[in-house]
Amino acid sequence: MIDILLSNPGFIIILAGMLCALIPISEIRKFLVGAAPIAAAYMIFTAFKDAEAARTVISVGGQDMTLMRIDRLSMLWGYVFCLAGVLNAIYGLHEKCKLTDSSALIYMGAAVAGVFAGDFLTLFIFWELAALSSVMLVWKGGENAFPAGIRYLAIHVLSGVLLLAGAVMFARANGGDFTIQHVGLENKGGLLLLLAMGIKCGFPFLHNWIQDAYPKASITGTVILSAFTTKLALYALARCFAGEDILIYIGAIMTCFPVFFAVIENDLRRVLSYSLNNQLGFMVCGIGLGTQLAMNGVAAHLAADVIFKGLLFMSMGAVMLRTGTAKASELGGLFRSMPLTTVFCLIGAGSIAAFPLLSAFVTKSMIITAALYEHEWIVLAMLLFASAGVMEHSGIKVPYFTFFSHDSGKRVKEAPWNMLVAMGLASLLCIFFAFPWGGYQFLYSLLPYQDVHYEPYTGNHVVTQLQLLFAAMLAFAALKKWKVYPDERRAEILDFDWTYRRLGKNIVLWIDAMWTRLSANMSVIRGRFFDSAGKKLYNFFSPAGAMSASAPSGLSAVLTGGMLVVLFAVIYLSRL
Amino acid sequence: MADDVTTDTHNQSDDLTHPLARKFLWLADEKVIQNFIWLPIIGLAVTIPLAFVYPFDEGHKAPWDFFASWAIIGFVAYSFVVLSAEPLFRLLSRKENYYGEEVEPEVIVAPKVEVHHHD
Repeated sequence: MIDILLSNPGFIIILAGMLCALIPISEIRKFLVGAAPIAAAYMIFTAFKDAEAARTVISVGGQDMTLMRIDRLSMLWGYVFCLAGVLNAIYGLHEKCKLTDSSALIYMGAAVAGVFAGDFLTLFIFWELAALSSVMLVWKGGENAFPAGIRYLAIHVLSGVLLLAGAVMFARANGGDFTIQHVGLENKGGLLLLLAMGIKCGFPFLHNWIQDAYPKASITGTVILSAFTTKLALYALARCFAGEDILIYIGAIMTCFPVFFAVIENDLRRVLSYSLNNQLGFMVCGIGLGTQLAMNGVAAHLAADVIFKGLLFMSMGAVMLRTGTAKASELGGLFRSMPLTTVFCLIGAGSIAAFPLLSAFVTKSMIITAALYEHEWIVLAMLLFASAGVMEHSGIKVPYFTFFSHDSGKRVKEAPWNMLVAMGLASLLCIFFAFPWGGYQFLYSLLPYQDVHYEPYTGNHVVTQLQLLFAAMLAFAALKKWKVYPDERRAEILDFDWTYRRLGKNIVLWIDAMWTRLSANMSVIRGRFFDSAGKKLYNFFSPAGAMSASAPSGLSAVLTGGMLVVLFAVIYLSRL
Repeated sequence: MADDVTTDTHNQSDDLTHPLARKFLWLADEKVIQNFIWLPIIGLAVTIPLAFVYPFDEGHKAPWDFFASWAIIGFVAYSFVVLSAEPLFRLLSRKENYYGEEVEPEVIVAPKVEVHHHD
């Protein structure tokens, strides 16, 4: 039992999370929150030295489950998750909340365990555990967060069910082999797996849970959430769909469309959520390109993104803690009160905008160069457009409207010391990852493909990138000077979630009203319908049914998944 | 969620300004704001000629790559995004409680006043 517990670094974090739920003393909990990811990182370090010995397979109900499989790809993801865990632990030191400590650890542990899972069934378990534990962080956000959390949960459980269904179909076509490997769209179950990962990754039209839930979560919750869910999905995508052409275009679209929403959004945590989508787009595009350079770019950009996006969310969290709002229209001039937070936010903004000597300069450029090498001209143009867009929403808008712009008159305390330490460390990492003398070389030494050589600090790269950024700054300054730059205004900005939050709700209400009117006259037809549906469900899900022939643990797994979908759909609709 | 906020609507009390920020109050000076535009202009004036010194790799360049192309892309793309904001806002914006959610109370933003540099 202890061997199993020590097999996967994620398990130790989950165990620490479960202990936290029982420990009333905040100091001990905080120690566990910080120590667990450090212990997990050490386990990754030792496991990688002998990957074969670290491999752990157990048999459950006749089905082999690979609890631990480590290689360079999973190692990097694991380290990044542990690093984020330590930063988040420091950032949340001031918050004495048992639920946050416990769910944050279980959530992080599930993400780490998922990364080291060697088969789809193990991945499914941690995929769902990550969803269930993370929703607690959303719900800690207050009144508006509850319905957003329900929507978040429903969408993520749906993603898990799709993952399981896709995995079952894939395994059935491959002699019952559930090993996580390249799947591709041409194989059975491929589309369902892609959809499952696409939901968690924030593909276009499936992305709204990010902008819905993240800005409504608690201050520390948003920072924690930004690090794991989407990155776990990226990992799965990199494992199963590297080189899948459609991802190039999905990723390119993902980089561009959030830019237009971010420019009109007033809630700066929602702006950062769109920005998260935009950065995921670069990585999805890199996975689609699938070359060794592109995959190295994806892995490197993941490491950079977790840190600088976390830093930006941290700075907005500090502002929110002190002022009570993250609305651009209510903020401004805070550099007078929060100078250190301002500097850290500017470092995060410079990093995401890919200024030389800051992290994305050495990571995002690998993906853009990979698109150039593959002669994907339209995609390359979209990525360049999105790079200018990043400069708009995260490089300029977030720091400008918070810390400069008009003076809101708010005079507040600087962020608490623990938040400053976490932001300071994240800022140092943003600089270290791009440091020309040993910094980026260290990051590159952790990447999956060591045969690829990429030199970020060429004269042409520095010059062209600076041209792009200076030109964007010039456009900003000119549009401000000519008073063309729009003021921040309070509003709800409609996105694709309108289809289910408004249109879908109205349709359900209409059907309900119609059903009530007709039900008195329809009892016979309704009885026949349910009889027929029941027979079909029995033929499909029963022990003699189609699904049981290939389902790993037979009826129970499929039914449990199905029941969860139904249950959450009912809860979701009841909350609308 | 707010913690120790003082809304200094008259904005006369710089006693509440953080000691580290006092040396940077010139950032809010109207002249500095008006002249900020020169920073990117100087940046471009340096980097565009430098593109002749560090040309694109002939084997790996996009069809549109020439000495100032990235500057043009940056300016046009940024302007396009910002100029699209107004029509998009008209199309997509609704009242804050459109989905029936609780709305933060509106805070009256202080009138803009000049802040002097104190050393």
